[in-house]
Amino acid sequence: MLSSASVQPPSAPRVRRVWGYRELLRGLIVRNLKVKYQRSLLGFVWTLVNPLMTVTILVVVFSHVVRIQVPQYWAFLLSGYFVWNFMLQTLSTGTWIFAEHSRLTRSVAFPSELLVFSAAGSRLIEFTAEISLILLAMIVLHHHGVPASYALVPVLVLIQVVMAIGLALPIATLSVFYHDVHHALPIALASLFYLSPVFYPASMVPEALRTLYFLNPIAGLLTLYHDVIYAGQWPSGLLLAITAAQATAVYAIGYAVFHRYASVFAEVV
Amino acid sequence: MRSSTATRPSSPKLSDPSRAPAVELRGVSKRFYFYDHRTSSLREWFIRRILRRPIHVRHAAFSLRDLDLRVSPGESVALLGHNGSGKSTVLRLVAGIYKPTRGTITTTGRITAVIELGAGFHPELTGAENIRLYGAVLGLTRRELQARYDEIVTFAGMHDFLDTPLKYYSSGMEARLAFSVAVCLEPAILLLDEVLAVGDQDFRARCLERLRAFHARGGTLLLVSHELDQIQELCTRGVWLRDGQVVRDGDIATVLAAYRAEHPAAAELSREDP
Repeated sequence: MLSSASVQPPSAPRVRRVWGYRELLRGLIVRNLKVKYQRSLLGFVWTLVNPLMTVTILVVVFSHVVRIQVPQYWAFLLSGYFVWNFMLQTLSTGTWIFAEHSRLTRSVAFPSELLVFSAAGSRLIEFTAEISLILLAMIVLHHHGVPASYALVPVLVLIQVVMAIGLALPIATLSVFYHDVHHALPIALASLFYLSPVFYPASMVPEALRTLYFLNPIAGLLTLYHDVIYAGQWPSGLLLAITAAQATAVYAIGYAVFHRYASVFAEVV
Repeated sequence: MRSSTATRPSSPKLSDPSRAPAVELRGVSKRFYFYDHRTSSLREWFIRRILRRPIHVRHAAFSLRDLDLRVSPGESVALLGHNGSGKSTVLRLVAGIYKPTRGTITTTGRITAVIELGAGFHPELTGAENIRLYGAVLGLTRRELQARYDEIVTFAGMHDFLDTPLKYYSSGMEARLAFSVAVCLEPAILLLDEVLAVGDQDFRARCLERLRAFHARGGTLLLVSHELDQIQELCTRGVWLRDGQVVRDGDIATVLAAYRAEHPAAAELSREDP
């Protein structure tokens, strides 16, 4: 609703308007999680089981059939797979988000990016639990100690969230106008799975192609996770800076695309 | 364009034309596009590009044309008119859901708009959870909602169903719950779009009572309704719209009489309504 606190002159930053609706953001995140987990006895376990099944299959295939030369392959895979899964799910949820909330968009004046934020937010809460378990497993079974590089994990999570929202916003916007997005996105994501270092390290990519390869911002993000969580080393400062810059650029472009069309959503959805 | 002057939303004063208007529309037009053909797939987009055919075939139509409307704080205004006359568009523009094609809209004080009852309700959540979510949708902070929570529950008369998921509610109960949240908010300006026909006789009477009390305390009310008798009881001023323009604006009794004279069917319909 418009109030003297939340109605801003057009020049005032939209950020403040979004901040005025933080209560709604919180409410939407809580709703997402409640709806997902109520009446399921095992709840969060199911969220873990699905990706863990995939991880198990990938471990069997790539350490016994197609042999990827990475020591303790399971640890390598775990350090990146859940990040990929976060991206995958945030983007997939994002495509439907405005259609799902069409009643809300048509009858309430609120900053509609909140819907995308809430999708990323509820995934982030699940991811926080997942990554904690993974870090614990790594400490106990892989590193037998706590590597100092783990201090960087919150920074990586921040980059990951900014990147996910930056990618989800334009996809969600486009899907309001063109239904192809619902068909194209699964194909795009399936391709991206092979073009990102999820089940192989980026170091296996031929030197000549590597610049091109790292144009995919997810490639940099996953490599950072591999360095920090799996190798337990400080990543290269250059890679960290480039990936952070990529995430910022993706967000800026994504938000601009969204913002260009957001004002007519109420008339279209 | 939209701007706002500082007010204390919690203490709206009585009607006074010399004060800043609660709602002011100046020269507002709203154009919508009606699509005869809308391209919504990229395949078609490419084909139409290659064949040099237009991507969208559409015609523009004005839902509102050069509308001026000034509502002072404490007024209680009913918008009258046929379907498609632009009533709901006015409410959506004032609420900030639509942007005007031309003109400026100025509002003073907190606005609560109830365009669709229970937008944001989720069937899997319980009544209590939905009250909290709907409160947030309507712009309440957690503390503000907490202060009104008991009042909302009492008003809805739903103590026994608070822990029941909404999907087991009857549609009447659901509407009652939504309406209770909306009327207990106490904003400076309340916008209602054909949502007064809710619940049983008793509940409706209490809603009207509540809205009258809201008005008596100096709240500004702007509503769209086809129930003319209800309007007559609740509003002090009527604005009759036709094709996006004001036909008549003035004292509710006068405007209603003129409206009834031109639409005897509408008048009868509302009388037959129990």
